[in-house]
Amino acid sequence: MPSAPSRAPRPLAYWVIPQLPTADPLPMDEETETYLELYLDQCAVQDDFVPPRSPLFSPVVPYVYTPNPSNPETTFNSHLESKETSGNFSSVDLSFLPDELTQENKDQAVIRSKHETEENSETQSQQSRLPLPSGQDVGPGSDSSSLSNSRSHLHPGDANSIQSAPAKPNCNSSPLASITPMTPMTPVSECCGIVPQLQNIVSTVNLACKLDLKKIALHAKNAEYNPKRFAAVIMRIREPRTTALIFSSGKMVCTGAKSEEQSRLAARKYARVVQKLGFPARFLDFKIQNMVGSCDVRFSIRLEGLVLTHQQFSSYEPELFPGLIYRMVKPRIVLLIFVSGKVVLTGAKERSEIYEAFENIYPILKGFRKA
Amino acid sequence: MVLMVYVCKIFFCRFSLGDARRPLHETVVLVEDVVHTQLINLLQQAAEISQLRGARVISAEDLLFLMRKDKKKLRRLIKYLFIRDYKSKIVKGIDEDDLLEDKLSGSSNTNKRQKFAQDFLNSIDQTGELLAMFEDDEIDEVKQERMERAERQTRIMDSAQYAEFCESRQLSFSKKASKFRDWLDCSSMEIKPNVVAMEILAYLAYETVAQLVDLALLVRQDMVTKAGDPFSHAISATFIQYHNSAESTAACGVEAHSDAIQPCHIREAVRRYGRKIGPLSPFTVRSRWAASVVTIG
Repeated sequence: MPSAPSRAPRPLAYWVIPQLPTADPLPMDEETETYLELYLDQCAVQDDFVPPRSPLFSPVVPYVYTPNPSNPETTFNSHLESKETSGNFSSVDLSFLPDELTQENKDQAVIRSKHETEENSETQSQQSRLPLPSGQDVGPGSDSSSLSNSRSHLHPGDANSIQSAPAKPNCNSSPLASITPMTPMTPVSECCGIVPQLQNIVSTVNLACKLDLKKIALHAKNAEYNPKRFAAVIMRIREPRTTALIFSSGKMVCTGAKSEEQSRLAARKYARVVQKLGFPARFLDFKIQNMVGSCDVRFSIRLEGLVLTHQQFSSYEPELFPGLIYRMVKPRIVLLIFVSGKVVLTGAKERSEIYEAFENIYPILKGFRKA
Repeated sequence: MVLMVYVCKIFFCRFSLGDARRPLHETVVLVEDVVHTQLINLLQQAAEISQLRGARVISAEDLLFLMRKDKKKLRRLIKYLFIRDYKSKIVKGIDEDDLLEDKLSGSSNTNKRQKFAQDFLNSIDQTGELLAMFEDDEIDEVKQERMERAERQTRIMDSAQYAEFCESRQLSFSKKASKFRDWLDCSSMEIKPNVVAMEILAYLAYETVAQLVDLALLVRQDMVTKAGDPFSHAISATFIQYHNSAESTAACGVEAHSDAIQPCHIREAVRRYGRKIGPLSPFTVRSRWAASVVTIG
């Protein structure tokens, strides 16, 4: 967290602290440095230290957060606000709700407008980008963005990001240690070119108003409601292909998306549907609850060996389930490992956890490779 | 017998628990009979207990009650229930359809089976032993041995064999629930087991087969006359009696390791360890056992 608003606004380029030997040998390309920068942004850097490398970043200007000289305090405060109240921040996501403008304060309005521009550039960019370990779906591809746009990239990035330390006020003792294994922006693991693909994201959001499920079911397309079976409306949309469970309390569960942004987008679409039906829907506390990834190591695995040597983490009952259930402690992920070599990873709240878990398990699996 | 084919498959899968690649038909027949008898026995006793309770169905509680004396088996069963719950929870989170299904069915109990078992045991536990089982973290030796055996076997297999092996391990009684019910002749019973009870019964059947294989292997190992073994002359007379005329002890011993389990091994295992086989072992009457086994083939 940036330490205090009492400081004079300064270029918030929280750069690499000199004692970073690990960073050096790695091929640093634009994306890597951006990632590093953003990651460090979240850690308190006490000194206004600008390392010699900063000139390198001039071409990457869009990612340098320079406060608008005309209104430094406001933007700085907004930055802080967005960090501290990530929940509230997401409440201003609904760019299509003009009436919200009068309710929110000016600061949040500023943020929202930035976010709108982020929205636009987002939808323009491709969906099939390389999944970044930080979860940032804003890549260097949005070259056209102006400075204000880029600022908006930073903010929602910080607040929304699925990075390892999203809105945590304190940074880990060795933040770089945890990112070093994943430093290449393209999450190519060090040992193999296999990247787990996200298959399903479950998220929740609070629409913050009581809903009449019957009315929704009657007027909305693709909505099912069977109160005898289940006390929620089941709604589906085709793009992104997802399913939502909408409860009368206003809470909603969104499942089926293949990326964090898609999940958020889908959730917003559902919220819009509800809003169009006349309910004062908002978009509070959007949170990813679970992420599921899968990949294929492309060799057979001898599960009997694995269950014996990793007894305290694994359970393998082939007559119950054909896969071995491996409960990794750090990160806290559950992996389903199959004889064929397919691996399913679940229980993640952030994308990086999935990648990290796979990195951890891959060498172990290689050890039990079957012929 | 149609069911024989099915059980044959099951037993084939049990070679994963220590048997050779293709089990002998006679062995399979014998095993099927033993397991069948055991389970019918268990069911009847469970039915009696249910009646005592005044319940209309045989439920998991009755089975747990019957097994209360054997802590190790009970613990294994509880662990199995726990794994079952855990697996459903995990798999449910993976696919969105599964998640919906679960929500729709209205049951959001994650640890349903295990909690249920725990509650029940709590109610019948008078000395605190049963509940202590839940906290008990000691290694299940039998399970450990089975895992080690499987690991040893799989190490030497090639990938095609291994694939087949894995597939066969996935067979279980619970996958063919209807056939299993018929096999146990549930329809003719007055009080029928409910779904959870059937799950437990399927697991117990599997365990019984596993135990038989474990013990038969032990017997087979004993039959190998080791050089320098001072007791090799003291092989039980009744044991030798079970061999058919063509075989001799020595011949049996020579082939011991690479050959399939013979019916003689099974019979000897039952004779020797009859008290330990099956979920009802502490209640098993030996004479009834020996008699039933001798009359088979």
